[in-house]
Amino acid sequence: MSINRSTCEVLLSVVDDIEIIAKELIENIIAQKHLKLSTAEHTHLIELLISKDNELKTILIKADEQAKINLRMEALKDEVDRQDQDIQQLQRQLKEAEQILATAIYQAKQKLQSIARANKRPVSSEELIKFAHRISASNAICAPLTWQQGDPRRPYPTDIEMRLGCLGRLSDLPLNGQMVGTHSNISSDLHRTGPTTEPLAAHATHFAWHPSGEIHMSVAGQGTVPINTHKQESEDVEVMSTDSSSSSSSDSQ
Amino acid sequence: MEVVELSEESAVNTQFTVADLEIEILPIIYEIIRSVEKDPHDTSQKAKESQDTSQKILELQKKLDSARAQIKRLPGIEYSKEEQLQKLEILRKQLRLKRELLHKYRNMCTFDVPKV
Repeated sequence: MSINRSTCEVLLSVVDDIEIIAKELIENIIAQKHLKLSTAEHTHLIELLISKDNELKTILIKADEQAKINLRMEALKDEVDRQDQDIQQLQRQLKEAEQILATAIYQAKQKLQSIARANKRPVSSEELIKFAHRISASNAICAPLTWQQGDPRRPYPTDIEMRLGCLGRLSDLPLNGQMVGTHSNISSDLHRTGPTTEPLAAHATHFAWHPSGEIHMSVAGQGTVPINTHKQESEDVEVMSTDSSSSSSSDSQ
Repeated sequence: MEVVELSEESAVNTQFTVADLEIEILPIIYEIIRSVEKDPHDTSQKAKESQDTSQKILELQKKLDSARAQIKRLPGIEYSKEEQLQKLEILRKQLRLKRELLHKYRNMCTFDVPKV
C-alpha cells in the first residue's frame, strides 16, 4: 500500500484481489481431481482471502475516519470562504475610502493653493466691493432702482466699454468712424455671442449698426428706435433701459 | 469551533457513510464452496444444486460490483489519510492567516481625532 494512492483506489484494489482469489478458489473446487491444488495451497489461498477481507475492513475503518476529517475540512473550507468574502468586502470599502480621501485631499490642496495665491496679492475688501458695484451698474438687465435722469450709470455696457472689450478688439478697428465696411460683421457678432448682448436679445429687440455709428434697436412690430451711443447727450436717457416699459415710452414720443 | 461541529452533525445525516456499506463477501464464498462440496448422489438434486451454485456465483459477482459502486460513493477518500491530514493542516493555516489579515485590516487605520 503506497502512500500516494488514494484510499478509494486501495479499497477497490482490495476488492479486485478478493474477486481474483474467490475465482481461484471456486475454479479449484470444481476442477478435475488431478488439476486440483494441493491442500496446503488451498489453505494458503483461503488464508489470503481472509487476510484480504481483514484488510478491507481495516481500510474501511480508516475511510470512516477520513469521512469525518472530510467533514471537518468542508466546515473549514466554508469558514475560509466566509473569511475571504469578509476580506474582499473590507478591501472594497478601503478602496472606496481611499478614493474619497484622495478626492478630499486634492480639493483641499486646490483650496490651499488659492489661499496661498490670495495671501500673496491681497485685495482690500473695499476695492472689491467698489468693483462689484461697477460691474452690477453697467452689466445688469435693468437700471438701478434709484436711477434718475442724468445718472451716468448704464445697465448695459457703454460704447466705450464695448470698444474696449473682446468684440471691439476682434476686428482691430480704429476708434473713429471708419468702420463702415465691416458693419455687418460687427452686427452679426453682436447677435451671436457676448454676455453683454444677451439681456437685450432676451427682450425681443434687434440691433443694427448704421453708417453714422449709431445703434438702432428694432422692437418687434414697433419699428426701429435710434439709440444714441454718446454718453454725454441727455436724449438717450429715455431709451437706455431695455425694459418693455421704457421702449413703449420711447414709442410714444 | 462550534460552527464546525454543527455542520458536521447535519452532514452526517445526509451523506453515505461506511456504516451504510454492505460488503460481506466471505459468507457468499463460503456458501458457494459448501454447495459445491455437498455433491449429492441424486441426479435431479445434483442439477438443482449446480443451478443454485451458479446462482450464488452470479450473486457474488453482483456483490463485488455493488461493493465497488458503494466504495466510490464514500465521501472523503479521494486522498490517502496522510494527504488528507496535510490538506486539513493547510486549510487550518489558511484560515488562521485570513483571520489575522482581517484583524490587521480592521485595526490598521485608527485615525487620530485631531484636537481642536
